Amino acid sequence: MRSTLQRDEMSLAEPTRLAVTTSAPPRLNVLQRFGSGFKASLPAWLLLLPSLVFLALFTYGAMGRVFVDALYARSTPKAPLRFVGLDNINAVLADPAFAGAVINNLIYAVGTAIPSIALALVFALALSRTNAVTSALRAALFMPVLIPMVAASALFLFIFLPNVGLLDHYIGRLLPVLPNWLGDPDIALSAIMVITIWKNAGYYMLFFLAGLQAVPEDVTEAAHLDGAGPWQRFRHIILPELKPTFLFVIVIATLNAVTQVDHVFVMTKGGPSNATNLVLFYVYQQAVEHYDIGKASAATLLTLAALMALTALSFRSLANREGGP
Amino acid sequence: MLFSRRLMLGLTMAGALAFPALAGEGPSEIDLFFPVPVDGKLARDMGTMIREFNETHPGIKATAVYTGSYDETLIKTRAAIKAGKPPAAVIMSANFLLDMQIENELTNLDALIAADGTTKAQFLGQFFPALHGNAVINRSVYGVPFHNSTPLLYINAEHAKEAGLDPDKPPQTWAEVTDWAKKLTKRDGDKVTRWGIAIPCAYDYCGWMMETLTMSNGGRYYNEEFGGEVFYDTPSMLGALTWWSDLIAKHKVHAPGATPGPAVSTSFISGNASMMMLSTGSLTYVRDNAKFPYKVAFIPRNVRNAVPIGGASLIIPAGLEADKQKAAWTLIKWMTSPEKSGWWSRATGYFAPNMAAYKTPEMVEFLAKNPDAKTAVDQLEVAKPWFATYKTVPVRKTLEDEVMLVLNGKKQPKDALVAAQKAADELLRPYNAETALKLP
Repeated sequence: MRSTLQRDEMSLAEPTRLAVTTSAPPRLNVLQRFGSGFKASLPAWLLLLPSLVFLALFTYGAMGRVFVDALYARSTPKAPLRFVGLDNINAVLADPAFAGAVINNLIYAVGTAIPSIALALVFALALSRTNAVTSALRAALFMPVLIPMVAASALFLFIFLPNVGLLDHYIGRLLPVLPNWLGDPDIALSAIMVITIWKNAGYYMLFFLAGLQAVPEDVTEAAHLDGAGPWQRFRHIILPELKPTFLFVIVIATLNAVTQVDHVFVMTKGGPSNATNLVLFYVYQQAVEHYDIGKASAATLLTLAALMALTALSFRSLANREGGP
Repeated sequence: MLFSRRLMLGLTMAGALAFPALAGEGPSEIDLFFPVPVDGKLARDMGTMIREFNETHPGIKATAVYTGSYDETLIKTRAAIKAGKPPAAVIMSANFLLDMQIENELTNLDALIAADGTTKAQFLGQFFPALHGNAVINRSVYGVPFHNSTPLLYINAEHAKEAGLDPDKPPQTWAEVTDWAKKLTKRDGDKVTRWGIAIPCAYDYCGWMMETLTMSNGGRYYNEEFGGEVFYDTPSMLGALTWWSDLIAKHKVHAPGATPGPAVSTSFISGNASMMMLSTGSLTYVRDNAKFPYKVAFIPRNVRNAVPIGGASLIIPAGLEADKQKAAWTLIKWMTSPEKSGWWSRATGYFAPNMAAYKTPEMVEFLAKNPDAKTAVDQLEVAKPWFATYKTVPVRKTLEDEVMLVLNGKKQPKDALVAAQKAADELLRPYNAETALKLP
């Protein structure tokens, strides 16, 4: 099971995800092997060296810099930078815009993870047998994953155009008042969420397809012979077997909810009235619009801490479930 | 992640810039960062222009570097400055100049002007007076106007005739616009099938439209002489926002909610909105795409005719070597000369900031063929600077967030403006503490 998962992860993850999703399991291995003597682990170190160099340069180096930047601020525009300790973090926590972004992000994470995972599971169950038709359908459902988020956002920008867009063209006749999909603070976040679900469901489907391959056939057959119906087989055999897959996909979905804001950037810039402002976009605003690197770094640190805690927790439960290596 | 990726890009670019500098001998190599705010064709036009410059100036090798939108151009310029290898010249959104000057990121151009043997008055005298405000900070020149715009009222002439209105006598006051919009709106029971007017509101455009409406209501958006004050909670802005909100809620001739610029122009082109207020920068797009006769007119007034300018200026970042600075200055003067200014204007739809451009034979001929391009230039008579304060973008956003709530019927105009003023004052406080409130 573990090896299947890892293979999938390696071959399918996009570069941005790769750094986050694959860094944890190898690191666990490294830490554990370290105890049994450095000499034995030397080949491992050598093998990891190239990627460690790049991780150090572009991931941990940048994180270290963010950590330092978060501790400095200027009191007035022309004043020199000075050490302020936790002031930046306090300022971020006290900022209602940050609180708003966190709440939006929670709604966004739950509202995109649950529907896209549910859809992915349904797709995978429906297409678990391989033949010409299901292969074609799998490819069709996987299509949105191949479209870059920025391009997809530009497409949806047209679909959501008020009055003249594709969506209003078709459902306009049915509604008494046409909604301003991206211009109404009550609807905009949901509109953004629809795109994420559309885009990610096909991706998560692949993990469930892989997970379903690992469900032991003899157990299913035995249950079948014992007279268990499709629902019972699903509830008592398939679902428990898919538990590690669920854990893994939930982590990926949550990471996506925090690290992918391309559509917010293209479609709404966090508006209207901050209704679609997510945490990462808030960081961007602080860094670029406010030109306040200290506050941007502080917000990044808070986000990183939350993400790392979440990742550690889920990989630990994953390892527990498998009883360790 | 997004930010750090962008920063990395900036750093990589800055790194790439470092190597030509090592070459030493040969022509001085300079980079021009340029954004493409309207559509992709501009990038090709810019290539043509820079090639011509290099052919006529053998001592300089300029390279045009496309840097995305106005905002992204600011990010990349700042990243390059931080990396110690700034580009030699940048086409920068005209209202970012003050912010950059406060952060010590701009070269004061006074010395370069003096070295040419001209005075500041003579140099600025080439450009329309309305553009001086965004180029001069504390009496020093920091930018050279490159392409500029003003908002216009676009009218679907076909719809106007149908409704018994004369498109050759466009509405001049808010009362007339309201009346026109009512006559142009088509209803099917309670449902509106065609809107009388559309005014864009998305971050950036919304603030510009609020400045437009406030100015034509007799008011000011900000203190043009000092970057620490905005005038949100004022009668003139209250009137402006209330009228906009009335068009939606009371007269029901404007679609509810916040509609971004491209959605407004699409709505107009497709005949779903009969009038719109939009930048002159969209004129070429409307001219190429509208399948019906249209008219452009001045932004109507409630108290007086007045509009803000928009567009971009050429700047030289701080921290350049002297020879690059000189080469950049040569490039800037060439790009803003009457001939080039006029050529760029005809290619893009922006107006040419250099007044002499309108005396060149090509421009006279072009305006004879496209009289609508002249309206923007005529309106310059009543134009004033674009708002620019300390932290322009966040200060603008405080107003835009509140305006969006009003347009969605979630807040009353007065409450919205009080909240916006409070938030803006808070953002401006550190700057004021260092300037107007720093007392002996």
